[in-house]
Amino acid sequence: MEGYRREAVWDPVTRLWHWLLAASVITGWVLGEFRTFSIMQWHIYLGYLTGALLLFRYAWGWAGPAPVRHRTLLASLHDMPAYVRQVGRRRPSGVAGHNPIGALSVIAMVLALTAQVVTGLFSEDDALFFSGPLASEVSSDTVVTMTAYHHLFAKVVLGLVAFHVAAILFYLVWKRENLVTPMLNGRKWVRDRTVNSE
Amino acid sequence: MHSFARWILVLIGLTLALSASAAKDPNEDAIKARRAVMTLQSWYAGPLFQMAKGAMEYDAEMAGIYAAHLNTMANVEGGAMWPEGTDNGAYAGKTRALPELWTTWPEAGKKAEALSEAAAALAEVAGDGLDALRSKIGAVGKACKGCHDDFRAEKM
Repeated sequence: MEGYRREAVWDPVTRLWHWLLAASVITGWVLGEFRTFSIMQWHIYLGYLTGALLLFRYAWGWAGPAPVRHRTLLASLHDMPAYVRQVGRRRPSGVAGHNPIGALSVIAMVLALTAQVVTGLFSEDDALFFSGPLASEVSSDTVVTMTAYHHLFAKVVLGLVAFHVAAILFYLVWKRENLVTPMLNGRKWVRDRTVNSE
Repeated sequence: MHSFARWILVLIGLTLALSASAAKDPNEDAIKARRAVMTLQSWYAGPLFQMAKGAMEYDAEMAGIYAAHLNTMANVEGGAMWPEGTDNGAYAGKTRALPELWTTWPEAGKKAEALSEAAAALAEVAGDGLDALRSKIGAVGKACKGCHDDFRAEKM
């Protein structure tokens, strides 16, 4: 592709993390939504796994390579207006990392999942008699509130994941940019700014 | 109107309002009664679920007694505890029962029937060992959940 170069953008750790998180969140969501007495414990285990993956991501945002750093994500938000104005154009974005909408989406997903894991620790299902490990530490009113938020955030997470997948499809079909392959092999078509591609 | 007459009217109005609010509302007793039933159902079901989960050591005698009491609580005559108009809109802060419980009746009645059947099946085997308890406890949880999902608000 003229004006684009294939570059190593996503490091192996980030890629592995991404797919582990996807698997953990989807499985955890399904087991929560269709919970029964015999599978509820697995929903809780997946909550722990998701929590551990989130903690790693916060640390990785400090220690990881440039495209995944907190600073990079926050900085890219400044380019939001300019990026949004041209996002409908039918050509690959060629961003060497998260584009501004993607960065906002990552931040939203990580925060929503964090809220989901934290509220889950204090939630209970009083039909199946399961509760998060910290539910016994707080008042029963707090548990009811946390449980309500846990159910609400489940819908938020579902919405954000749906938006994420819809965006991937939009880039693939409309902008002719495959964002899935780079998350598998790390290599992404990046716009070569040394060549005037405009 | 004369200002004195106006004050008398205000006083009469206040007295009526106060006496109306002080009057005993039978619906509140019904709400208390049904919540008490569910509190007891939860009280007897709790240890059975904890045993099934392995969070409490299995005790055949206790399991048998608690399952029998759960079965009793799942079969108390409760129709009068659910008078029409006692949903969480009319009795905010007192009940989590959604209006759908009445508008989609007899769906909620079927849920109660499901709990009754599940509790009876559990009571039959709960004292026969942990595996027997485990084989029937899931249906009880499912019955509780079925009604909570459809007819209970998230918050008071």
